[in-house]
Amino acid sequence: MNMSKVMRVAAREFASTAMTKGFIIGALVLPAAMAAIIPVVMVLAMKAQPPADTGTVYVLDHSKEVTPIIQDRLDPEAVKGRWIERFEEAADTVQNFVPGVGADAAENSMEQATSNIKSPIFRIIPAGDGTNLDELKEELRKQFASDAGLADENKKVLAIIEIDANATKKINEDEGYGTYQAFFRPKLNEETIGEIKGGVRWSIRQKRYENADLDRTMIAEIFEISARESKEITEEGERKAANGIATFAIPFVAMILLLMASMTGGQYLLTTTVEEKSNRVVEVLLSAVSPLELMTGKIIGQMGVGLSLLTVYNAVGIIALIAFSMGDLIDPQMILLIFVFFLLAYFMFASLMAAVGAAVNDLREAQSLMTPVMLLMIMPYIFFMPVIRAPNSLFSTVLSFIPPISPFIMIMRVSSTDAPPTWQVLLAILINMVGVVLFLWIAAKVFRVGLLMFGKPPNLRTLIKWVRMA
Amino acid sequence: MPNAVSMEGVRKTFGRKVAVEGIDLAIPEGSIYGFIGPNGAGKTTTIRMIMSILFPDRGDLAVLGKKSAVESKDRIGYLPEERGIYKKMKVGAFLKHIGRLKGLDSRGLGNTVMEWLDRVELADVHKKKCEELSKGMQQKVQFIASVLHDPDLIILDEPFSGLDPVNMRLLRSLIDEQHTNGKTVIFSTHVMYQAEQLCDHIVMIHEGKKVLDDTLDDIRTRFDPRALHVDPIGGLGMSNEIAQVAGVSHVTPVEGALEVILSEGVEPQDAMKALLSAHPMNRIEIKKPTLEDVFIEIVTDGVRGADAEQLRADLLAGSKLEEEGES
Repeated sequence: MNMSKVMRVAAREFASTAMTKGFIIGALVLPAAMAAIIPVVMVLAMKAQPPADTGTVYVLDHSKEVTPIIQDRLDPEAVKGRWIERFEEAADTVQNFVPGVGADAAENSMEQATSNIKSPIFRIIPAGDGTNLDELKEELRKQFASDAGLADENKKVLAIIEIDANATKKINEDEGYGTYQAFFRPKLNEETIGEIKGGVRWSIRQKRYENADLDRTMIAEIFEISARESKEITEEGERKAANGIATFAIPFVAMILLLMASMTGGQYLLTTTVEEKSNRVVEVLLSAVSPLELMTGKIIGQMGVGLSLLTVYNAVGIIALIAFSMGDLIDPQMILLIFVFFLLAYFMFASLMAAVGAAVNDLREAQSLMTPVMLLMIMPYIFFMPVIRAPNSLFSTVLSFIPPISPFIMIMRVSSTDAPPTWQVLLAILINMVGVVLFLWIAAKVFRVGLLMFGKPPNLRTLIKWVRMA
Repeated sequence: MPNAVSMEGVRKTFGRKVAVEGIDLAIPEGSIYGFIGPNGAGKTTTIRMIMSILFPDRGDLAVLGKKSAVESKDRIGYLPEERGIYKKMKVGAFLKHIGRLKGLDSRGLGNTVMEWLDRVELADVHKKKCEELSKGMQQKVQFIASVLHDPDLIILDEPFSGLDPVNMRLLRSLIDEQHTNGKTVIFSTHVMYQAEQLCDHIVMIHEGKKVLDDTLDDIRTRFDPRALHVDPIGGLGMSNEIAQVAGVSHVTPVEGALEVILSEGVEPQDAMKALLSAHPMNRIEIKKPTLEDVFIEIVTDGVRGADAEQLRADLLAGSKLEEEGES
């Protein structure tokens, strides 16, 4: 094999795929931009507030003791104070996500954002003793007709709250507490509704504490148990205990990365092979290079495409993990294994794609032959849950040794919380290497025969004949 | 002189269909050979075997002194019948890519490409995408791709199909120039007069078998049709009278003249004298055999008249004559 020719083919293959605007934008820029935009969107979402609701809340208080507390709790100043507090907490979290923002700039924009906060302004009006709930509802209804001309915003009825007589003290000992019901004007902001309901609940609870002679602060303290980070004790020492992200997200992301990188390269390989064949450029190429050189070059070229994708996504992933202060989840050995298993998986799928591409006349015909390949590709998804629940079960172990899905299953097992012994990983790599050689050998035969065959697309039986024939 | 290409007893089958059956060939270096025959005769299969794109089931093959073209691919230029280009690639880049694949050094390659484009009057297109070119332009680009690396052996499969007369002449002069420079040229065509214009040696292939392998001159002598073309002053209606002249076997009208077939043993010179003395003529000449005639002659094995005409039409249309004599 003439390696300089192979590399020439590979260079063209890579350039014609990866050096196009479509690829750079679609496969590289877009995801990177998305990753960069997420924190910005979070900040923007916090800054962009809907106009605050202003208006009246009627309280029909049958218990006759909650209304003053509600009035305190939903006082415009108190509401605003709580909103600023919440905003500052959220902003702190966001700042951790955006490492680039300087502290001063952050401080300034924070002050500005705080002064911009528009919290709802409520006017709490206790409904008199004799008031009927229906009358209040009627008043709200009447406002719809003349809404446009409602001169005083404060008079706009936002909500009607009816509190049960037994909401704060039990009337019969064997029954529970009563509750409240809220009636709202349609299309209020979620925040306004939350504020009103929250305020009412807080107030009812407050009165219950008082009636039961309990100290609210004390109870809050009793409830509070701040959890320290759990650790796992291993032979080497201590480490952070597995949490949801570590058990599911990491193996899933590793598998998806692998699948995506090998599929993208494979898909492009199929397209360019079909293109060269239907363009009839293939015979010109075959007068300069052998079919094996051509196939090798193309596979290497698309490997470059897959590797660049994998590198970019890995880098984005690592940056994201560091930004979310989860950098300790990054395992260099793991990253190395992702690349190793990528190469193994890619070579097997690329062989299949090259064979399919050479066998058919156009992409439409490729679809029927692609069905078995697609089935292989969704296997890792299907097996994700069973494998991740029991990474070392007999089922998972056996699956992780069967090419061509072995790389995907093995990477899930390796990145799970219960990693397989090293010998199994090495054995899987060995088996896959044998698989790669076998797949390439078969593909080379189909490739050679198929490239110059035009006409009826072959079925599986013809393909087997080609392998025997070549 | 050593042979550029030699084949011995080469056979190739596709499934049950025999594409090439026992072909022997010896093409000396520096010659210009024409492979002729109707569509589907086995020309392309033979060429692909010479190029080691296909491999013979049986028989021996040597190209430029090597066992197969694989070992001397860079010394061979090949223009396949099915022409391909990368549609999205720029013309210059495409030619450079092929040049690199053919083992050319990247230094100076740009200049070589430009010189060639200039020679085929396409200097201004090297920055255009291949798909923007007309079909004839694409074909010229593909021809450049086959000779860019200055090969010793040039194989052109149907190089003239789809070209207008001006470009056909341009291409013919380019091929001729390669021949003059001592390169071996093999080309195939189903349009036989193109072979007559260029080749000094003809290989005729019919249904996978070699039916003729000779120089053009020898073929002309061997396949002397023993016929004259005459255009009597009295008009073509004179055919009955002319048929009465001594030495004339029979007369058939052809385009703008009468074809006079001579009886056995009659010398054309004598018949001409007899005809001229019998009737005044606008024109009288000895008919030269065309390759078409030779081909029909070989295939039909001497069948004449309407049958031969039917055969000629069938063969030129590329269709195979299934049942002889029934037409």
